[in-house]
Amino acid sequence: MAKKRNATILVAVITVAAVVILFWRPTVLIYGLQAAGLYASIAIPMGLILGIVHIVNLAHGEFMMLAAYATFMVCQAFGLDPFVAMVPVALVTAAFGFMIYKLTIRQALKSPELNQLILTFGISIAITQLINLSFTSQTRKMSFDYVSASVDIGELSFGIYNFVFVVIAILMVIGLRLYLTKTISGKAALAVGQNPKGASIVGIDVDKTYGFVFALASGMIGMMGALFITRSSIFPGVGGPFTMKSFCLIAMAGVGNIPGILGASVLLGISENFLKAFRGTRGWADIVFFVLIITVILGRSIKGKKA
Amino acid sequence: MKKALAVIAIFALAVPAFAQSGDTIKLGGTWPLADITGKQGSMAAQLAVEEINAAGGVLGKKLELIVIDDELKADKGAAAFEKLITVDNVDVLVGGMASGVALGQVPVLKKYGKVYVTTGAAASSTVEKAIGADSDWYFHLHPWDYNQGASYAQGWDEIQKKYPSIKIKKIFLAYEEGAFGKSSFDQTKVLFGADKRYVIDGAPFKSAAQGGGDYGAVLEAAKTFKPDLFLWAGWDADALPMLEQAKAMKFNPGIYLGAPPGWPIGFGTSKLSDNVMFYGMWAPSINEISPASKKFYTGFVKKYKEEPATYFAPLSYSAIYIIADAIKLAGTVETNALIKALEATKYASPLGQTITFTPANIIKHQGIKNQKILQWQNGRQEVIWPFESATAKPVYPFPKWK
Repeated sequence: MAKKRNATILVAVITVAAVVILFWRPTVLIYGLQAAGLYASIAIPMGLILGIVHIVNLAHGEFMMLAAYATFMVCQAFGLDPFVAMVPVALVTAAFGFMIYKLTIRQALKSPELNQLILTFGISIAITQLINLSFTSQTRKMSFDYVSASVDIGELSFGIYNFVFVVIAILMVIGLRLYLTKTISGKAALAVGQNPKGASIVGIDVDKTYGFVFALASGMIGMMGALFITRSSIFPGVGGPFTMKSFCLIAMAGVGNIPGILGASVLLGISENFLKAFRGTRGWADIVFFVLIITVILGRSIKGKKA
Repeated sequence: MKKALAVIAIFALAVPAFAQSGDTIKLGGTWPLADITGKQGSMAAQLAVEEINAAGGVLGKKLELIVIDDELKADKGAAAFEKLITVDNVDVLVGGMASGVALGQVPVLKKYGKVYVTTGAAASSTVEKAIGADSDWYFHLHPWDYNQGASYAQGWDEIQKKYPSIKIKKIFLAYEEGAFGKSSFDQTKVLFGADKRYVIDGAPFKSAAQGGGDYGAVLEAAKTFKPDLFLWAGWDADALPMLEQAKAMKFNPGIYLGAPPGWPIGFGTSKLSDNVMFYGMWAPSINEISPASKKFYTGFVKKYKEEPATYFAPLSYSAIYIIADAIKLAGTVETNALIKALEATKYASPLGQTITFTPANIIKHQGIKNQKILQWQNGRQEVIWPFESATAKPVYPFPKWK
């Protein structure tokens, strides 16, 4: 009962805050939500791997970067739009992810966590250097008219394209929820994520499940890589910062809490843009990021201790 | 025992002499090779070496260029110079790009006093100060930050005089978060805002190169300020996404100007690039007014099957020719004679200007002191100032978004 009351109060506070911001500085809400959509749709696949395979994939951003380069080449060669190219690119990235899992991650599943981190960090460096050697560090960007689509409300003009990422993030959350609760392989993945030994005893092929989840998450980040080139330039180091951001958002949401990643992203996106709206705090976006993480994790720890 | 020591001493003294009297004159350079700017800088330097050798070399000897990757790290850059000087026994040092690396190399340079013709470093408050006034062997080609700022101010004054329809009063600087961006903003305020001729405002943004790439807030601040000149100082990764967002927000300053170190591949093919102005030192359009530029460009494209992406390529190419000409003039690679010969440099460079060495604020030998103001017009980079190097007239104002 108390939990329900707290949740209602929280929703009411968030709604009031959103309405106030909407009238006071609508762009804070608009750009905040757009940033949140991008953060969440990149972090969710990483959250899936961490929640089920229990591996922190430090090459997560590099998978996205690799997919972005693949999309760039496909679009250049065949004149395709990234929204079309994302289908084959996602499939190829899923296959690549599966191969990486089989050849490397699988061998380190029982190793200490530090070894796993070093392994995926090594993969990230290898991918970055491979792209650097093949394409040089010079940036590439494709230009699409629809990216500059805008809406005018009175004197306010703002871009609406980045709301695509909000839609994708919501679809990812809903899709994963349906997959994990309504399908047999999804339920198996959930079981493996909660208790791999128990799942194995009841006949679930843990290795196969891990491989599938890793491939699924790689395919999802591959799809994001394809769409990433519509809004951003690509270069070998473009993925790295998103690995860090994704990991922190997962830490804020709690491991295995996929809808929580969306919530954490909204909190982060709006907080960042709120600070950017004031002259004196424009450069504080990175600070708010870490302050939020520390506050949430500390709060959760204190709550856990009390419980 | 004394005889033995004397023999060893004579042998030790003779080794460097033998090293220099071989069939080659050795040049040693450091560039960040994983970066397109540094990589092409070293490629252009190699091209110049091959051209000079094909034309008979220098003093009857071939030039040899030894390149070490400084990896954009100060310690690697310093170790590379130590090796080039003590192991490879190079006669002259060349190259360079980032100020941070240059700063790390200063102690090694001062230790050996080897002649260095450098293409990098713009941070006067650190590098120029560290080099000091007494380092006669230091020849700096790239303009210092204050040279650049002063030339921009001069450029806009002259442009407004020549084209009265161009009127600039309010300038907004969108600068990347961090020390470089902040110092650029501070310098802009000093240079343009000093006598209140211009009203300056600015805001930071996180560059896509550092994991950012969301320009909504900074463009919103700029739009509210209504600048006549909007300048952004970031990286090539910001160029197109910022334009796309500016278009989405219908942000239309009179002048839209970017100052990245290079442009993304194919930037000129985007419709959004049209009439964007920028600062730089070289563009392929200079081929039309400079035979040296045409020779460099043709040679580079022929050898490497790619276009020079930034001005560091012609700058590095120029450095090699300047060294070769000085060695010819000096008739030796001996330090004092070479310094004298370099001081007499008058090189018609591919950058569209003749390079000579004159004193800067601290150092004695400063090569280039001004940057150029350029504009993307129909996919081409045109020089609009200095007028003597101009390849086109400025298009003003920046057209309204359709």
